[in-house]
Amino acid sequence: MIPYIIRRIIHLIPTFIGATLLAFLISQLVPGDFFKQLELQPNVRPETISRMRDRYGIDEPWPVQYVKWMGNLLRGDLGDSFASNQPVTQILATPIKNSMYLVVFSLILLWLFAVPMGVFSAVRQYSIADQIVSAISYFGLAIPNFFFAQIIILGIFMFRSFTREYFDYNQLILPIAQMTSSNHSEMSAIGQAWDIFKHMLAPSFVVATSGIAGFTRVLRSQMIEYLSSDFIRTARAKGLGRSTVTYKHALRPAIIPFVAGIGGLLPSLIGGAGLVEIVFAWPGITPTYLKALRQQDIYVVLGLLIVSTILLMIGNIISDILLAVVDPRIRYS
Amino acid sequence: MKKFLLVLSLAAFLSITFAQPFVWPNAWSADAGNAQMGGTLRVSQLSDPRTFNPFVSAEAAPVVLRYADGMGASLITRGPDSDDWIPYAASSFKISDDGTVVDVVLRDGIKWSDGTPVTIKDYLFRYEAETDEEVGSNGFDSWFINDKPIILEATGENSLRFTFPEPDRTALPIVAMVPSPDHILGEVYRAGGAEALKAEWGIESDVSKTVWTGPFIPTAFTPGERAILVKNPYFGEWNKDEAGNALPYLDGIVENIVGDGDAGLNLFLAGELDTYGPRNLDDIGSINVAVQNGDIDAVVMENVAPVASSQFIVFNWNKESDPFKQKVFRSATFRQAISHLVDREAMIELIYGGAASPMWSNVYQVNSYWVDNDVPKFPFDPEAAATKLASLGFTEKNSDGFLVDADGNELGFTLVTNSGNNQREQILEIFTDAAREVGINVDAQAIEFSLIVDQLLSEGTDRPFDAILIGLSGGSRDWPFGSNVIPCGTNLHMYNTSGDCIAPQELLMTKLYYQGRGTLDTPAAREIGLKIQQIQAQIQPQIYTVSPAAHYSWLSNVGGQHADGQVNPIVGTREIVLTFKK
Repeated sequence: MIPYIIRRIIHLIPTFIGATLLAFLISQLVPGDFFKQLELQPNVRPETISRMRDRYGIDEPWPVQYVKWMGNLLRGDLGDSFASNQPVTQILATPIKNSMYLVVFSLILLWLFAVPMGVFSAVRQYSIADQIVSAISYFGLAIPNFFFAQIIILGIFMFRSFTREYFDYNQLILPIAQMTSSNHSEMSAIGQAWDIFKHMLAPSFVVATSGIAGFTRVLRSQMIEYLSSDFIRTARAKGLGRSTVTYKHALRPAIIPFVAGIGGLLPSLIGGAGLVEIVFAWPGITPTYLKALRQQDIYVVLGLLIVSTILLMIGNIISDILLAVVDPRIRYS
Repeated sequence: MKKFLLVLSLAAFLSITFAQPFVWPNAWSADAGNAQMGGTLRVSQLSDPRTFNPFVSAEAAPVVLRYADGMGASLITRGPDSDDWIPYAASSFKISDDGTVVDVVLRDGIKWSDGTPVTIKDYLFRYEAETDEEVGSNGFDSWFINDKPIILEATGENSLRFTFPEPDRTALPIVAMVPSPDHILGEVYRAGGAEALKAEWGIESDVSKTVWTGPFIPTAFTPGERAILVKNPYFGEWNKDEAGNALPYLDGIVENIVGDGDAGLNLFLAGELDTYGPRNLDDIGSINVAVQNGDIDAVVMENVAPVASSQFIVFNWNKESDPFKQKVFRSATFRQAISHLVDREAMIELIYGGAASPMWSNVYQVNSYWVDNDVPKFPFDPEAAATKLASLGFTEKNSDGFLVDADGNELGFTLVTNSGNNQREQILEIFTDAAREVGINVDAQAIEFSLIVDQLLSEGTDRPFDAILIGLSGGSRDWPFGSNVIPCGTNLHMYNTSGDCIAPQELLMTKLYYQGRGTLDTPAAREIGLKIQQIQAQIQPQIYTVSPAAHYSWLSNVGGQHADGQVNPIVGTREIVLTFKK
């Protein structure tokens, strides 16, 4: 196992160099640069813009820029943002942390709901309950996250109208934007944690929904396949209880594909919750990334790509190891 | 010892007695008499401040610093009711007869938010750092007139002198400079130079340790979430209302960072923001519904005035490799015909739902003192366009239905705009339909913004585009003509960057531009400005389209807004110092 891991890590080096080169090349192919936006500002002199370009060395040939950037990267320096003059590592740290709150909580919701739903659906195949779970799953798969997020916000507003009319209560039941309340800094530590939790509920519910939908469908079909296999029949014939058969013997092999995917989750932990973050004004990585892309703040964009690439590579190794743990048929040599 | 203490007390008493505060006129607020102390204003902004260092930012000053730095002890200021400058942190200022020297005396009693007195050293330090090329401040350019420097020097313990290389009405705003703390940043600069100064007060620093002169100072900042500002305890010592109350009225401001306009709207509808700038009529509709349903109690100001930006079509006069097109594009008659094909009314109705105005002059309409409403106009009239084109020899159409001249040259051009700007793309479509209707083969395309900038800024006698639909923003209340837009040879003189004036009117506009800029008498400068607009409108180097309108809204418990006629995109809705919560 250990020689296998070392071999995998050595293989990662050319992959990493190839990935960074490709990312850098693509970034250079995009026409224009950050300072282009300034050129149509009537109050900015062309000399000022050329001075800024010199400072960041972005008029140098791309191989020179790449080598410099790579050299800094090996020292852990992802470069500086053009827009804020701050190190990229500093700019990315807080949004990544905020996105992780949302993504981790969504994943917990996902596993918490999807596994029982998938199993329930499989053991009660074609029952009305199964049909309902399937219908909800298809709905979750079909509706885009950003649109579902807006429907949830609308629902929260409509609920306020309802509570005002019948209960004379004119507050939103859940926050519809941002990660904290305006008076967050005045709260106790527990109050602050509760505040973030409340803000997290609506967006993480939206993020989890589409995941639950896909997860439930796949787990259901896996479970159905295993529940009709010979070893399950044997287990039942031995007189094992229904829940032991279902959860110990059928669920364990059925869950293997999801375990294989756990490694792939690592980059998604920092990749954020996509457009849901925009709709809920969640201060995560997506708004930061989109802004950097729009402004062509290229080192911020590359910085995130690099961190994601590294995490994806680490994640793949972890997946391989986990697979060996849960699936006794897999052996590495 | 007793005698010494007596003298010291007397000196302190006298300094307080003679430190006259600046009195904020009641005329700057619609309900000055009803002001109440206390409360927190909750506002939003789209993105984080990128730094708290006023010298570092590559973009305009971060919004949060407007209250702490930009609205601080500027030597002169002006209110919403007049374009005239009045002394603010200065107790007096005097402009020399030839307009090249401005002498300023600093008001007593101004303090930094840490209690340190503000002195002329703080202004001199700001000047020194902003003019240091190594610091790379955003304010660097404003210290030069035609590449010649403006000099700031001390003329006494409490007085400063600005010396301008030539009279220039656009340079007076430099006197409205704010100080930077010499006792903190100045020491850093002297000890470690530009690099040390740039490293101070970054976004990661403890913002509560920064010092300012403005009405509100930041005490906490969480990236992506909010900045908390509280009342500067020393601001009220030299800023009073007419009743003698110390200003500002509010205890603080919470600046929420929402990242997205829709999220800002949602927060406003949820009653969690006190002010919101509706982007369009859809936003206005949502707010009105919320008000009718009783969700929020808000004031909505719809269609207040056109925004301070322009959208126009510009033709390329430098097409040496295509003499036919060059000749056509250089013809004022052709460009007047094009203006006749811009259906401004349709654009206003279809794109902006009526919340926009036609634009005829190169001065924004909101700049009402300067704008000339009697410029020659060439409104939508396809028949008039056809007549003008016929006068240029385009009387026949080819088999494709496009106009041709006697030599068989087809009248057509490529018109591009920047992709992603939906409204501009719709303007392009409406124009293209009308132009093709009369027989002009317009090939309309939306392309990457940076490619357009490259095309516009290309120089020489043969440039790589036909026509571009683009916009400009910015400009001043002192001389509303762009220094690098009007004169020949400047980089945003988009229609002709050959370096020479081609049309005689171009030369005349260049001369008038510099003449007006050097005229310190405002009515006289305005007369010159009107002439520029007349010439511009006659020869149509830029064919102006429409300006969308600005809208405003705030919760009804927020007071202190400007009087109705004073609210516009240039001066905004309110003075933050006079704003209060009911």
